[in-house]
Amino acid sequence: MTQILRGALVAAALAAFAPMGAAHAEIKDLKIIAPAAPGGGWDQTARSIQQALQSDKLVSNVQVVNVPGAGGTIGLAQFVNANKGDPNTLIVGGYVMVGAIITNKSPVNLSQVTPIARLTGEYEAIAVPANSPIKSLADLVAALKADPQKVSWAGGSAGGTDHITAGLFAKAVGVDPTKVNYIAFSGGGESLASLLGGKVTAGIASLSEYDSQAKAGKLRVLGVSSAQRLPEAPDVPTFKEAGIDVEIQNWRMIAAAPGITPEQKKEISETIEKMVKSKAWTELLAQKGWANTYLSGSAFDAQLAKDISATQTILKDIGLAQ
Amino acid sequence: MSDPRLSSTRRPDKAGFVIAFGLAALALVVGWDAWRLSSINAHSAVGPAAFPTIIAGGLALLAVATAAEALRRGEVERPRDEFAPMAWVLAGLVGQIVLLPLLGFSIATGWLFAATAKGFGRGPVWAHFLAGTVLCFLIYVIFAKGLQLALPAGPIERLM
Amino acid sequence: MDTFAALSQGLTIALQPINLLFAFVGVMLGTAVGVLPGIGPALTVALLLPITFKLDPAGSLIMFAGIYYGGMYGGSTASILLNTPGESSSIVTALEGNKMARAGRGGPALATAAIGSFVAGTIATIGLALVAPTVVDIAISFGPEDYFALMVLAFTTVSAAFGSSVTRGLTSLFLGLALGLIGIDLQSGQARLSFGIPDLLDGVEVTTLAVALFAIGETLSVAAAGARADEIIEPVKGSVFMTREDWKRSWKPWIRGTFLGFPIGAMPAGGAEIPTFLSYALEKRLCRKPDEFGNGAIEGVAGPEAANNAAAAGVLVPLLTLGLPTSATAAIMLAGFQQYGLNPGPLLFVTNPDLVWGLIASLFIANGMLLILNLPLVGLWVRLLAIPRPWLYGGILVFATLGTLGANPSLVELGMLLIFGLLGYVLRRYDYPIAPVVVGLILGPLSEQQLRRALAISVGDPLALFQSPIALTLYALSALALFGPLLFFLLTGRKAPVGADED
Repeated sequence: MTQILRGALVAAALAAFAPMGAAHAEIKDLKIIAPAAPGGGWDQTARSIQQALQSDKLVSNVQVVNVPGAGGTIGLAQFVNANKGDPNTLIVGGYVMVGAIITNKSPVNLSQVTPIARLTGEYEAIAVPANSPIKSLADLVAALKADPQKVSWAGGSAGGTDHITAGLFAKAVGVDPTKVNYIAFSGGGESLASLLGGKVTAGIASLSEYDSQAKAGKLRVLGVSSAQRLPEAPDVPTFKEAGIDVEIQNWRMIAAAPGITPEQKKEISETIEKMVKSKAWTELLAQKGWANTYLSGSAFDAQLAKDISATQTILKDIGLAQ
Repeated sequence: MSDPRLSSTRRPDKAGFVIAFGLAALALVVGWDAWRLSSINAHSAVGPAAFPTIIAGGLALLAVATAAEALRRGEVERPRDEFAPMAWVLAGLVGQIVLLPLLGFSIATGWLFAATAKGFGRGPVWAHFLAGTVLCFLIYVIFAKGLQLALPAGPIERLM
Repeated sequence: MDTFAALSQGLTIALQPINLLFAFVGVMLGTAVGVLPGIGPALTVALLLPITFKLDPAGSLIMFAGIYYGGMYGGSTASILLNTPGESSSIVTALEGNKMARAGRGGPALATAAIGSFVAGTIATIGLALVAPTVVDIAISFGPEDYFALMVLAFTTVSAAFGSSVTRGLTSLFLGLALGLIGIDLQSGQARLSFGIPDLLDGVEVTTLAVALFAIGETLSVAAAGARADEIIEPVKGSVFMTREDWKRSWKPWIRGTFLGFPIGAMPAGGAEIPTFLSYALEKRLCRKPDEFGNGAIEGVAGPEAANNAAAAGVLVPLLTLGLPTSATAAIMLAGFQQYGLNPGPLLFVTNPDLVWGLIASLFIANGMLLILNLPLVGLWVRLLAIPRPWLYGGILVFATLGTLGANPSLVELGMLLIFGLLGYVLRRYDYPIAPVVVGLILGPLSEQQLRRALAISVGDPLALFQSPIALTLYALSALALFGPLLFFLLTGRKAPVGADED
């Protein structure tokens, strides 16, 4: 046991040099709950916020806590129940949570937290292997209309953003969403591999997952789910350009606990706004290839409400919610 | 198949029957869940109920096989287990779960250490509890502060 | 491009004294955290990542490599000495390794694990440097039907871990399969066997089950045995280090383990667990003293440990050549690479050759450092077993719960630890093998998902399962594993000499 302790002491000593120790912070201690396991999008978002807040000395000590499980609903439930009125604990969340709350029949929902701001987002893209006979969204739509079962889609877990996008896409072109032959994969890597290996007809995931493969000429990205073409892929048309009325953003947000005072909410919002404008945050976003889709206040609340009701409808259409 | 240490008599093996019963009960639960799932409309070739059905079937067969073996092999004499030491270890684990949200990592885990040591015949409990709590507090400092690992904090941890 | 020139340049950078120090610190930290039961390499790397932020790219990549390999290795130390596998890929190591430790042969077990990891890590890293693009093309060509065939092979060989009774082995396996059903079904989004408890929606964590069955179940059954079990474990009987015979019995399993681990690790859905199962089964077949299996056969440590480490290097193949993170650890490493503007993907070898070769060189250094650091420590590690029983088991439970809490701070998780610990006790008490439960939990969901994917893609046509040459080869191997001994008996009229001489 002494070995473990000795090793760990070195770790402690080293870590002491690391992030902490700041001078003029407004908030002293902050805990951010990442309702996912280490490595995922929410975890990376939480750790990026941690890094940005600390390096700009906006908060002197930020701790990230992973509470993984069930599309973030376990972390959310724990947050809502244990942190009522606590201004020093925040939670990271996102669009995936909206769907998970519905499909998992979660006892808590997003109306029970205090949303602060949408921070970043990614758009969905549809891609096919480079040697696929499908050259455009129109080809894909034609194949889908001919026999939806023959078009297999690789994406993330059932009921997630990828599945929802596939369902919306089918519905928009007049194909029964329940007929979509959607193949769920547990990680981005596996679904991408099945697409590269030509095992499925098409893949659906956030654009960043396909981007480097497309640049290397291994995949062809047919379309993206944004309102306008995206700077990282200016040649790729949007769904809307192809006449398919689907627009979806897989956004990530930060929210505060229920029951905090308006003053506390204001202070947190201001800190986050400062962070979003900081150089550290801009650099982090660039590094990860995330778009800055900062939206706060009532505009964000309205967007959130819109997303929730749209998601509810499509999940019913796919057959995943009652 | 039979262990040379174990001698057997003519009476059927009671433990074997209890295990067979447990397996049958598990098969029923899994089977019931599969039945519930099969009523949900799934639009794929193999739905969510297929595997549970197979597993429930397998468990049911194993329950029968276990019961048959218990009947055939007869009562197996197993060395007697001592209940008190086990109870201490279990009390340690249950105690930790109960104490953790109230008193934090160090005290709850200190209790686990003391109870386990007691279970293995080393007392007194209070001295081990103190030593365990100090040890666990050290661990807490290293992991929670040094490595930012999130561990439940209690009154002692909040002193820092 | 001249691979060797690039590699040697990477090595020159990695061999600078300050970088060697970083490698040393990384290996130390990785091992120290990885030793904790329940904290696997993914969490180890995630926890220690911020420390590397403070260094320059070369130094941090080197430290990173050290943490990665150290974390992988730390898990096996705990498995061998304390029977508490820190991660799912070192469960198999615990089977024979802990038996060896109890027989006073912990030293050779740790040594064969360390040297085997080194050998496998080195060969696999060479593979990464030289044949990554080829390997990845093959790996990508694996479809769901091929993965399903691979799972079938794993299932048929798992019987090697069954122990003496088939009924008991199957019972354990089916318990694991039933536990594997718990949670949201990936394909349909339906919750199975969750009874409305949100914490069950994500299913049973493999490390939680393994730590509970092995560490807690073991503690309970030793406690229950009371005075009966009071023989004292002698930490060292005979040589602390490997004897000539140990070497002779170890080197082939190392090589075989490597060639199982590297390609399977490189597959997007391969993972590090399946090669360890396959290696264990293979070594049991080939061992000349098969009755030693289950009582501490060194081959059963050497092979799976090599497979495990080779798979760890294999995971880097799709990560570096395609930018595919195929494990949680790889996903975190991807995040780490991005700190330095390293964007893994098909163009990485072209756009950032210096950093890639620097990383590969770092892996070599970390691997060597791991060996240099751990071999002298073997004697010390083994002394852990000399700690008086009450404190040793008290400590095991403290670290087991710490690991579980660290990975997921939830009381439900601790409750599961307790319930599965009791299950582990019951299984031990009535002579049911432990490992098949964990194997069932790992393989069950994987095989189900792959089968359903394959059938969904073929729109329900079962013939699609048998149309790929890869799948057919794997089925043939499964048939051989199942019926090989029987066939031999029918042809020659005598029992197959298990572990035939193959010198």
